[in-house]
Amino acid sequence: MSNSRAADAPARAPKSKPGSTRRLHLPQKMRNVELFLLLVACGINAAAVVLVQLGALGHIDTTLVVLGAGLSGLVLCLHIVLRFVARDADPFILPIATLLNGIGIAMIYRIDIANGDAGWDSAAVRQTVWSGLAIACAITVMLVIRNHRVLFRYTYVSGFVAVILLLLPLVPGLGREVSGARVWIGIGSFATFQPGEIAKIALAIFFAGYLVRNRDSLSMVGRKVLWMKFPRLRDLGPILVLWALSMSVIIFQRDLGTALLYFGLFLVMLYIATGRLSWVLLGMTLFIGGAIIASQTLDYVHGRFQNWLDALNPDVYGADGGSYQLVQGLFGLAKGGLLGTGLGQGRPEITPVPQSDYIIASLGEELGLAGLFAILALYLLFVARGFRIGFAGHDDFGKLLGVGLSFVVALQCFIVIGGVTRVIPLTGLTTPFLAAGGSSLVANWIIVALLLRLSDTVRNQPRLVV
Amino acid sequence: MNVSELTLLVLRLGFLLVLWLFIFGIVYALRSDLFGQRVRKQPKDGAPAVASAGLAAAFPSAMPAAAPVMQPAPAFVQPPPASAAAPTEQLSAQAAKIDLGPGDKATAQNATRLVITSGPKAGTEFPLTVESVTIGRSADSSLVIRDDYTSTHHARLMLWNDKWMIQDLDSTNGTFLAGIRLAVPTPVPLNTTVKIGATSFELRR
Repeated sequence: MSNSRAADAPARAPKSKPGSTRRLHLPQKMRNVELFLLLVACGINAAAVVLVQLGALGHIDTTLVVLGAGLSGLVLCLHIVLRFVARDADPFILPIATLLNGIGIAMIYRIDIANGDAGWDSAAVRQTVWSGLAIACAITVMLVIRNHRVLFRYTYVSGFVAVILLLLPLVPGLGREVSGARVWIGIGSFATFQPGEIAKIALAIFFAGYLVRNRDSLSMVGRKVLWMKFPRLRDLGPILVLWALSMSVIIFQRDLGTALLYFGLFLVMLYIATGRLSWVLLGMTLFIGGAIIASQTLDYVHGRFQNWLDALNPDVYGADGGSYQLVQGLFGLAKGGLLGTGLGQGRPEITPVPQSDYIIASLGEELGLAGLFAILALYLLFVARGFRIGFAGHDDFGKLLGVGLSFVVALQCFIVIGGVTRVIPLTGLTTPFLAAGGSSLVANWIIVALLLRLSDTVRNQPRLVV
Repeated sequence: MNVSELTLLVLRLGFLLVLWLFIFGIVYALRSDLFGQRVRKQPKDGAPAVASAGLAAAFPSAMPAAAPVMQPAPAFVQPPPASAAAPTEQLSAQAAKIDLGPGDKATAQNATRLVITSGPKAGTEFPLTVESVTIGRSADSSLVIRDDYTSTHHARLMLWNDKWMIQDLDSTNGTFLAGIRLAVPTPVPLNTTVKIGATSFELRR
C-alpha cells in the first residue's frame, strides 16, 4: 500500500511543476517594479503641486498636500490589492495612470489658484475626491472580476446597458445640457455625470463578445472587387446599426466626439476580429459621408467645421461660439514654446474651460513642447501596453477586449488633442486621466482595472520555462 | 519666502528632466519587449547531437544536403525547405507524410500532457487544458524556450474541432513535426516529436 503511494508521488510531482517553478523564479518581481515606479510617480505628482505653488503663490502651503497624500495612499492600496489578487498583472499601467492623474490634478489646482477658487469650489479638490472614488471603483472591479471571461457571458447585457446609458441624457428631467451638448445627467443641482464615458466600456465588452460569436460570417464570405474582398450586402447590418447609432448621437445629443469615439471603436474591433481592410474603408466612407452631410445641415456641426478651417479669420474669432477658445489655446501653446513658462507661471486661465477640454493647451503652455511630448509618450506607453496584453492573450475574447479598451483611450486622446491642436474639428471629449471630470476618471480607472485583470490572466496560465 | 527666478528655472527644467527619466525608466524596463528576451547560451559540451540538429535547423537553406543526414528521425526524409518544388506540391506532400504518422491524432480527450523529450529540461511535463499553448522566447508564452534558435513568438498549439493543431507563427528557424518543417497548421499525432530550436516535445496520454 505504502509502496504504491510512494510510486505515485514522483509521477504526480512533475505535474505541479509549472506553477511552482514560476513562484520560485519570480518572487513578485513585477509588483516590485510597479512599487518602485509608483513611488517615483507619486513623487513627481507631489513635485508638480509644489512647483505650482512656488510659481503661482511664491510659497508652499499644505492645503492640497493632505489630499494628494490621500490619493497616493489609495493608489498604493490598489498596488497591495494587486499583490494578492493579480500578482502577474502588468507593472507599468498603474504608475502611468497615476502620473497622468496627478499631473492633471496639479494643473487643475493651478487654474484654481488663478481663478481664486478654494474649498469645495476648487475643481482640484473635487478632482482629487473623484480620483479617490475612481480608484476605489478600480479596486472593486479587481476584487469582483477574477477572470475576464466572466464578462463574455454578459455580452448582450452590456450592449443593453450601453444603449440605456446613451439614452439617459435624453430623458427629460434627468438630462442636462452643457454648452450645447446633451450628454450629461444630473441628480439635484450638483452631482452631474456623463454616462457616455461608462458606456464606452460596456460597448467594448459588447463588441468583443459579439464579434467573437459572429465574426465568421463577417470575415469569410464576400465578393472580390479590385484587390479587396468586400462583405455581402446582408452582412452590413451591424455596421449600419452602429452608423445609425453614432449619427443619432450627433443629431440628438449634439456631440460629434462621442459619435466618432463609438464608431471608431467598433471599426477597429471589427478590423481586428476579421482582418479585413474593406470594413475600415467602408466604415470611414460612411462616417465621413455622414459628418459632411451633418456639417451641411446641422448648425453646430457647421460652426465646428468653420472654426476649424478658418480659425484665424477675425469674423469667426469674434463670433459667439466662434474660434476664440481654439485660437487662445493655440496662443497658449505658442507662448509655451520648447520648455514652457514653468508650472504656475503662465496664463492658461485666459482660455475658456482650461481645466477640462483645454487642459492639454494649459499643460502645453506651462510645460512646453518637451512636457507635452512627455505626456503623449505616457499615453503611447499606456496604449502600447494594452495592445501588448491583447496580443499576448490566449482567448479571442480577451484579445479583442484588451485591444478595444486600450484603443478607446488612444482614440479619445487623438480626438481631444487633435481638436485642441487644430488637426481635426474640435469636439468636446475629456482627455483621459488629465481633464477635470468625475465620470471620465471613473471610466478610465475601470479600464485600468480591466487591463490589469486581463494581463494577469494572460500571464497566469500554466507556464514552463525551458 | 520668496523664490528667485533662477531657482524656479532650475526647478522647472529639473521637473521636465524627471518626467522624461520616468518615461525612459519604463522603456528600459520594457526592453525585453522591444528587443526580445535575452538568449541563454547552450553549454558547448552538453548534447552535441542536439546542438548540431539545432544548427541544421538554424541554417536550413545553407546546407540542404547535410540536413537529411542530421535528422534524428530517419523514417522521414526531409525535403530541403528551400527546394525548387512548387509550394502547393510541397504542402500536399507534407500533409500526406504527416497523415502516415504513427498513432492517433491528439484530441482534447486523449492528450493530457506535453512532455519535453530533448533539450535542457528533458523529462519535464506540462499539463494540457482546453487553452491554447503559445511557445516562444517571450516571457508571456505558456512554454518559454530560451535558446538561440527560438523566435519570440514561435508556434502555437491549439484545439481546432477538438484536435490539437500546431501552427508555426512565421518563426525564423521553423517548427518541425516528425522532422518535417511546418507550413500550415497541422494536426499533431500522439507520441510524435515536435521540434522547436534545440527542444523537442511530444503530446502524450
